[in-house]
Amino acid sequence: MLRDGWVPTMCYQCKAECAILARVEDGVLKEVRGNPRGRGKACVKGMAGVSLQYNADRLTQPLRRVGRRGEGRFEPCGWDEALDAIAGKLQELRDRGEAHKLTASFFPHSITDPKWRFLNAYGGFINTALPHCDSAKIVAFIKAMGGVPNHHIPPAFFTVPKGGIMIMAGRHAFGCLDDASVPRDILEAKARGAILVVLDPLFTADAAKADWWIPIRPSGDTALFTGMTHHIVMNGLHNKSFVENWVREGDFERLKDYLADKTPEAMSRICDVPAKDIIKLAEMCAAAPSVGVDSFKGIMLGQAMDFGHAWTNFLAVTGNIDNPGGQPLPDLTPLAPVEPVPPAPNLHERGWHRTGPDKDKFAKYSFIMEPTWYQAQAIKNGDLKVLVVAECNPALTEMGQEEWRSAATMTDSKGNYLLEMLVSYEIMLSETSRYADYVLPDKTYFERWELLYMPWWYNFGQGIGLRQPVVEAPEGCRHSNEVFIELGKRLCPEYFAFKDDVEFYDRQLTGLGLSVKKLQDLGGLWSPGTLGFRKYEKAGGFGTPSGKVHLYWEDLEEVGQALPRVDLAPEYRVDAEQYPYVLLSYRTIFHQGSGQWTHNNPQLRDPVGGFRDNPLLINTATARKEGIKDGDLVTLRSRSGQVRVRAKCTERIRPDCLGLHHGFGSSIGRVAAGGGGVSDNALIPDSGTTLDWQDLVGGESHVSTRVRLEH
Amino acid sequence: MNQLSLAIDLSRCIGCKTCVAACRNYHGLTDHASDMPGKMPYYLRVESRREGSFPNLKLESWVVPCQHCNNAPCVKACKSGSISKDEQTGIVRIDQGKCQGSGDCLKACPYGVIQFDAARNKAHKCDMCWDLVHGGQKPVCAQVCLTDAIRFGEKQLLRMELKAEGKEILKRMSAQSVLYYRDSV
Ligand code: SF4
Ligand code: SF4
Ligand code: SF4
Repeated sequence: MLRDGWVPTMCYQCKAECAILARVEDGVLKEVRGNPRGRGKACVKGMAGVSLQYNADRLTQPLRRVGRRGEGRFEPCGWDEALDAIAGKLQELRDRGEAHKLTASFFPHSITDPKWRFLNAYGGFINTALPHCDSAKIVAFIKAMGGVPNHHIPPAFFTVPKGGIMIMAGRHAFGCLDDASVPRDILEAKARGAILVVLDPLFTADAAKADWWIPIRPSGDTALFTGMTHHIVMNGLHNKSFVENWVREGDFERLKDYLADKTPEAMSRICDVPAKDIIKLAEMCAAAPSVGVDSFKGIMLGQAMDFGHAWTNFLAVTGNIDNPGGQPLPDLTPLAPVEPVPPAPNLHERGWHRTGPDKDKFAKYSFIMEPTWYQAQAIKNGDLKVLVVAECNPALTEMGQEEWRSAATMTDSKGNYLLEMLVSYEIMLSETSRYADYVLPDKTYFERWELLYMPWWYNFGQGIGLRQPVVEAPEGCRHSNEVFIELGKRLCPEYFAFKDDVEFYDRQLTGLGLSVKKLQDLGGLWSPGTLGFRKYEKAGGFGTPSGKVHLYWEDLEEVGQALPRVDLAPEYRVDAEQYPYVLLSYRTIFHQGSGQWTHNNPQLRDPVGGFRDNPLLINTATARKEGIKDGDLVTLRSRSGQVRVRAKCTERIRPDCLGLHHGFGSSIGRVAAGGGGVSDNALIPDSGTTLDWQDLVGGESHVSTRVRLEH
Repeated sequence: MNQLSLAIDLSRCIGCKTCVAACRNYHGLTDHASDMPGKMPYYLRVESRREGSFPNLKLESWVVPCQHCNNAPCVKACKSGSISKDEQTGIVRIDQGKCQGSGDCLKACPYGVIQFDAARNKAHKCDMCWDLVHGGQKPVCAQVCLTDAIRFGEKQLLRMELKAEGKEILKRMSAQSVLYYRDSV
């Protein structure tokens, strides 16, 4: 039963999923606020969610493709027809023993998401999420500390003490996408005497508030942290009791040997930060009561695992693990499993879905979610036959968009698409839906149920949040989870013996003695508010085999990565002569990564209320050298594509870099298509096509490439 | 008269425009289904000043709502007498019933904050969230500000508060009823 007034629910304008209150008047959504019981903030995207809700482009009935893929010609069809076609295809795929050739690409709001359950129950091999942005970091944390950090766990900024240091390494924390209370928490910490250090080749809103902005060379973070670690260790400035008690025996000595030649001077040549600054920052960190490091770009680069490793080594030697102001470790919320639990896919038996020449060697970089670039490569390999996308937009907002588009339209000798079926759930048409065989009208986050049990605010203590309908969905819209449950009932009924999504969540909530109704009565949030520090002490150690922190990773010896490689990411090292500039694909608070929700939102494209266009940021001196004037149209070319874009001369970027805001360039949608802008992903190659210069064990170059200017 | 006021912290404002969107929603300034970028009214805007050259840069942001001027030029300019400064709170309001749509106030306002609704032929602007503040709540912008950069209260009290905290009040910017300040270094 929907009601008027302020209703607690969870935002989903971006992946942060902040706790919000939605004001409903006569059944119409009017306003959004941060929920004071959930740390109290919502950002500009969250506020503009009202415009998403009432966007005139919303889809209200399923569409069937009538033209070729990519043309975007559709005709309406009924839900029965669409569901019969999809279930029929999935039945056929499974009958021919290829259930594992189904991939669903979605944002897992919770590991208990019914979509995830469907994949496991059906035998779908893979759970592709959004671009695998922080998987390298997660793997690094598992290897070093044995704990699975929930997705992206930044320092709990509200715990940073006076004198504590907050390092943003390519992290735009004031751009949210990581709980809207974080900007306030950082500024509060600053106000009580903490120090904000921003490492970024671009002068961001964070840099503007920083005590120290270090315009580092892109992807120089590994070298910088290693140089700091060198200075700290070689000068005996490390946290001796942590190292003695909690670092695995022998690892510190191995680290010391490794560090011998990684002097601040040597590292300075890689990261382009003066050696004296590396030393100064190292000494500041060694003396500070806490150091918390947050990153984003650094964990989306080709050598992300090396950076993750340099990062964990730095945290370990400075003793900043699970301490106030340092790196929090998770503590899981005890939800109940919904029996019978479908078995997770056996990755090794089914073949690892990395593709390309080094496919088999990737096994060590095992992680449950696959990168987006898998899709294009796997379609070509014959490893992907049915793709279902929800809440993501691979044709525009992921690297290698052209590769994806061409793979989605590839045919065999008989003229049949290699990708046999593509289904996209959409609130409004996106670039990706142009390629879909069926487009299904999704509900917005103001119209649906979801139990969020690993939202990113997890670092504020264990907890769960309830997303609940606050307004009626238009007739004809169904949430992707409802549809997956329906498909589950048809194709694997033994695992879907519950009425609907609400009953599914009810069963999980029995683990907490709750139900959806009780959780609603509690105000939609459950958290005892505990965070806890140094939990490893009470637990008798870390989750690693030795119970201690591992600085040395012997399982990566054979690929030369037992200790971090300090070079720049490979995508920044190749082709430097032909492509002299590094492209910074950056973000602001106004747009999230997946496109339409914010790019087709009038408030967020409004010049007063948002961010309209993405001109090419070019350093004033570089522009002068290139003979480019402010506002000139230039061509930006990379090894995988080109765009025509207007130049904006600015002081806020390194002279050897060029900047493009991520996610623009949609050709569809009333606001998005008219708003201008170009897609950075036309320039960033699909990592799967560049495996020869990708790290074997690392990350994926989601955001990075080299470019040249033509005009 | 005890002037009500907003105090904007330049050390905290990050130019995120959360306040702009929230204000638009609360005051119903947008038709979500049909409005297009660049065509929507706004009661406050973000301004910023960047200084220096790479890599020695400084950037400050702040918001500009109606300043609820002491001797409001808009009040003087309006021949229909539809703009008034409230006796009790100092809030400057445009009476929608009386406004004739002459647009004189738009020209008179030195801060460029008055909006014109061509469809209704009326001028409108920030009223410091009159209904909210009379109900004991803060104006929307002060409620939602992402970084708590906006304080609300009686101007005199805010000034005392800021002084007690050792903040630097930017006299030049705060000639009217809105205060601008930053951390003093
Ligand atoms: S940070 Fe993301 S989830 Fe939070 S309010 Fe903003 S858009 Fe919503
Ligand atoms: S800022 Fe403009 S609208 Fe506001 S009181 Fe002053 S003159 Fe009038
Ligand atoms: S919400 Fe606060 S920080 Fe953001 S622009 Fe407005 S005043 Fe500045």
